Amino acid sequence: MKSKATIPKIPHALFKWYCRSDRYEELHGDLEELFYDRVDEFGHSKARFYYLLDVIRCFKPYAWKKSTTQNTTILMLNNYYKTSLRSLMKNPLSSFINIFGLAMAIGICMLVYGFATWVYNIDQHHENKDSVFLTTVFVERDGTLQQNGLTPRPLAEVLKQDFPQIKSTCRIEDRNAVIKFEDNVFHEQVRYVDPSFLSMFTFPLKWGNTEALNDANSIILSEPMAEKYFGNENPIGKDLQLIFNADFKKVFKVAGVAQPFPKAHDIRFTFLINFKNLLQVEPGYNEHDWSEFLQATFIQLDDPSNIQDIQTNMDKYKNVQNEVQADWAINGFRFEPLATLYKRSPNIQSDVSRGNGDNYSSVIFLSVIAGFLLTLACFNYINIAIVSATKRLKEIGVRKSIGATRGKVITQFLAENIMVTGFALILGVLLGTTIIIPWFEQLNDFSMDFTLLDTNLLIYLPAILLLTGVASGLYPSLYISRFQVVKILKGSVAFGHKNHLTKLFLGFQLVLACVLITSAVFFTQNSKYNALRSWGYSQNNIIYAEINGDKAYNQLKTLISQETHVENISGAEDHIGTSSSQAIINLPPNKKFDVKEIAVEANYLKTMNLHLLEGRNFNQHPGSDQNAIIVNETLVTNLKLEKPIGQTVEIDSAEYEIIGVVKNFHSQSFFHPIDPTYFKIADPVNYNYLTLKVAEGQETETYVSLRKHWSELFPELPFQGGYQEDVWGAYFNETNGHAKFWQVIAVMAVLLASLGLYGLVKLNVTRRIKEFSIRKVLGAHIGHLMGAITKQYTILFSVALVLGGIASYYLMIFVFDVAYTYHMPITISGVLIAVVLLALVLFLTIMTQIGKVIKTNPVEGLKTE
Amino acid sequence: MGRTYLGEFEELVLLTVGVLYENAYAVAITKEIIEQSGRSVNVSAVHKSLYRLEEKGMLKSQLGDAEAKRGGKRKRIFSITPYGKKALDESMELRSSLRKQIPEVAFKWQKG
Repeated sequence: MKSKATIPKIPHALFKWYCRSDRYEELHGDLEELFYDRVDEFGHSKARFYYLLDVIRCFKPYAWKKSTTQNTTILMLNNYYKTSLRSLMKNPLSSFINIFGLAMAIGICMLVYGFATWVYNIDQHHENKDSVFLTTVFVERDGTLQQNGLTPRPLAEVLKQDFPQIKSTCRIEDRNAVIKFEDNVFHEQVRYVDPSFLSMFTFPLKWGNTEALNDANSIILSEPMAEKYFGNENPIGKDLQLIFNADFKKVFKVAGVAQPFPKAHDIRFTFLINFKNLLQVEPGYNEHDWSEFLQATFIQLDDPSNIQDIQTNMDKYKNVQNEVQADWAINGFRFEPLATLYKRSPNIQSDVSRGNGDNYSSVIFLSVIAGFLLTLACFNYINIAIVSATKRLKEIGVRKSIGATRGKVITQFLAENIMVTGFALILGVLLGTTIIIPWFEQLNDFSMDFTLLDTNLLIYLPAILLLTGVASGLYPSLYISRFQVVKILKGSVAFGHKNHLTKLFLGFQLVLACVLITSAVFFTQNSKYNALRSWGYSQNNIIYAEINGDKAYNQLKTLISQETHVENISGAEDHIGTSSSQAIINLPPNKKFDVKEIAVEANYLKTMNLHLLEGRNFNQHPGSDQNAIIVNETLVTNLKLEKPIGQTVEIDSAEYEIIGVVKNFHSQSFFHPIDPTYFKIADPVNYNYLTLKVAEGQETETYVSLRKHWSELFPELPFQGGYQEDVWGAYFNETNGHAKFWQVIAVMAVLLASLGLYGLVKLNVTRRIKEFSIRKVLGAHIGHLMGAITKQYTILFSVALVLGGIASYYLMIFVFDVAYTYHMPITISGVLIAVVLLALVLFLTIMTQIGKVIKTNPVEGLKTE
Repeated sequence: MGRTYLGEFEELVLLTVGVLYENAYAVAITKEIIEQSGRSVNVSAVHKSLYRLEEKGMLKSQLGDAEAKRGGKRKRIFSITPYGKKALDESMELRSSLRKQIPEVAFKWQKG
C-alpha cells in the first residue's frame, strides 16, 4: 500500500448505525479487507464505490440491530395498517364517500395548481426577461395620468445613441397584409421588427437562422403559419408574396421558421419582417417624427440595474415631444421589465402584451373554490369518522387497556386518515389529469401544458396530503381518544347523540353547497339573459363585408343591390362591433374628452336600425351634413350636456354641431362598458365596410351570393366579413363557459354534501334500528318514523338554508358586479331556486334511508347485534 | 431421516467451509466460491448463509486473530459440526442414489 487508503466516512457511519454491535467487528473486518484488496486491484475511487455497494448489500436482517423499540413501532404500524384496511373494507360505503369526496376536491386542487403554473409562467421563457424593458409613457386623459405602451417613433434611435448602457433596441409595428402563395390568398397580420427582435426575445428557430432578419427581403414564420402554407416540409428558401396595398407588393424569401411557442406565452408573432419594409409600404411613414407614435419600443441592457440611470435622464425627450404634439403630451416615461410585463399589462393601455388581469383573478377564484370543496370533503370525513367511531369504541377500549396511551390512539387515527387521504390523492390525481384539466381546457379553449413531471408538484401534492389528512383527522382522533377505558368497556359512553360540532359542520357544509348552487343558477340565468339582451340595434339580419375604398364599394353595391332580399346598403369607415377610431372632443372653453368615432354613410343608422332618441338623422343628400354629428347617450352624460341638440363641439380643430342623440348601443361585448361615441359622415374614399340589411330569414342566402360576387370581383383578395350577430361570438362562448363551469362545480358540491348527509343518516339509522323496530312493532305509522328520523335535521336544515340563501344573495351581487359590466339584475328568485333544489336533494337523501327502515322486517332489526 | 433442508447456495458454502478448513471466514469463502464455481458472489450473501447455517447448527464458529489488512479487526472462523457433516452426507447420498437410478436409456439421445 503506497498511500494510506481510507474507508469512506458516510457509508461507514451508515453501516455502524444499522449493524448490531456483537457482529460489527467481524462484518466490518470483512468489508475492510475487501476494500483494501480492491484499492490495490482497481484503485481508490472504484474501491470506495464497491464499499458503498457492500454496505447497502449487507443491510439485511442478520446484520440488523435487535433494538426493541424499533421493532415494536414497526409492529404497531403494521397493526394500524391492518386495522385501518379492515375498517375501510367493513364500511365500503362511507370509505367510498370519504375517498371519492376528497379525490374530487384534490382533482380541483390539481386544476388550480396547473392553471396557476400556467399563468405564472406566461412569457417567463425569455432568457433576457430581466434585462429587456418595454418603454411606456404617461399621458393625461380625462383628468388622470394613464400609462400607455405607445412611444414616439424616433425614441429607439436616440436612446441607443444617448445611453451606452443600452445594448440594443427593437421597434415593433403590426400591420395587416394579404399573403399570396400559389393560388391562395389570406389576410394575415405581419409584424415589422428591428433585427434585434430574435436575440432579445427567446423564440428559437426550427429552421433557418436568426441573422436572417437583417435582410429586408427575408421573412420568418411561426410554426402554425409554416404548416398552413407549406405543410410539414422545410420551406426555407421558398417565396411568399405579400400584398400590402393596391400599390405595393413584394416577394419575400422564407428564411426561418420558429419552433412552436411554449404553451404559456403571450408575446407572439405570425410573420416577422424587417422594420425597413414599413418605409416602402407606407411612403408617408416618417420614422423621425416626434409627434407620431410607434406601437412598441423595447430596450435591452447589459446590466438591468442601470435602468434607474436611464429612467432619471428621460426628461429631455419629454420636452422635445411636447413641443410638437400637444394633444398627446407625454408627462413621463417608465420602463417595464419583460418578466413582469404580462402581469402589469392590465394597467398599461395599448401595449404589445395582452394580459387583462383576468387570469390572475381566476387563480384566486379557483383557489377559493378548491378550498370550499376541500372543506366540504374534510367535513364529510370528520362527521362520518366521529359517528362511525361508535363501532370502534371496543377496539379503542382494548387498545387502551393493554397499554396504548392517548397519543398512540391519536397517532393511529391520524395515520389511518393519512392512508385514506393517500388513496384519495391517487384517485384525485387521476381524476385531475384525465378528466378535470382536459375539461377545463376545452371549456376555455386553451392548453395549459400540464405535466405530472413537475418538481414543485412533488412538494405541492404531499402538502395537500398532509394538510387534508391532518385537518380532517385531527378532531375525530382527539374526540375518539378522549373516552375512558372503563366507561367504554362498560358500555356507558353517551356517544354522538348530542354532538353539536357534527351539526355545526353539517350546517356549514350546507351553507357552502347553497352558495355554490346559487352561483350555478345565477351564471346559467345570466348566460340566457345575455343572449336575449338588446344590443341597441338589430344585429340579426345584418351582414357586413370589409372593402377598400369607394370604388370597391360601388362595384360590390351594384351587384348585390340586384338581390331581391337586400333592403338597405350602406358604407362606412368604421363599423359597430368591428372597429372604431379614437377621437378627442374639445368642449368650449377647454375641456378634453376621449371618445370613439364611427364615420359612416348617411343611411347607416337606418341600416343598423339604431334608435334615434331626439333630433334628426343625417340628410341623405350626398355632400350635406358634413359638419354634423349624432352622439350616443353616454357621450351626452359624459359631457354633461343639458341640451345636446344644437351644441357645437370641436373635433380635430373643426367645429361640429350635434344634430341627434341615439339610444346607447353595444359596439363591444357586454364585458366592456359602452364608450361615448359619435357618428359623422364619412368621405366615401375611406369606406372600409359595406353593411347590408337583409329581409328576415334570408341572411344565409344573401351571404352566399355576397361571397360569390366578391370572388368574381376580387379574386386576389380574401373575403372578410360575416353575420353581425357573430361579431363577438367569443363573448358568448365565455359566458356560457362560466355557466357550464359553475354547473359542474355545483353538482360536485351537491354531491359532496348529499354524500356526507347520506353517510350520516345511514349510520344514525343503523344505530337506532332497534328503536325503530320496537316502534314499528308497537304500531308506529310511516309518518311517525319519518318524524323520528327527520326531527333532528329539520331545524338544522332550515337554519343552514336560510343562512346560505342570505349569504349567497349578497355574495352574488358582489361577484357579478366584479365579473360583468352588464349583467341581469340579481333577484331573490335565483336564490330560491337554489334553496329549493338543495332542500329537495336533502329530502331525497333522507327518504332513501326512511324507505329502508319502512321496508325492513322489525324482527330482523331486533335480531341485529 | 432428520429433515435437514439445505439450500443449493448453503450447500456450496458448507462445502467451502470444509475445504478451507482452518481458514474458513467470509472473505476467503467468497473468493474460493468465485474461483471454483465462476459465479459472481457477494460477501453479504455469504454472510447470510453462514449465520443461517450456524443457527441450524451445521456450523460453529469462533473469533480468530486480528489482522492489519482488516483494519485491526478479528475474523470469525467457521467450522463444520457433526450435524453439518451428516446433512452434507445425506444430501450427497440422496443425489448420488438418485443419479444411479436414472436408467442408461434416458441418456441415449437419437441423433438428429
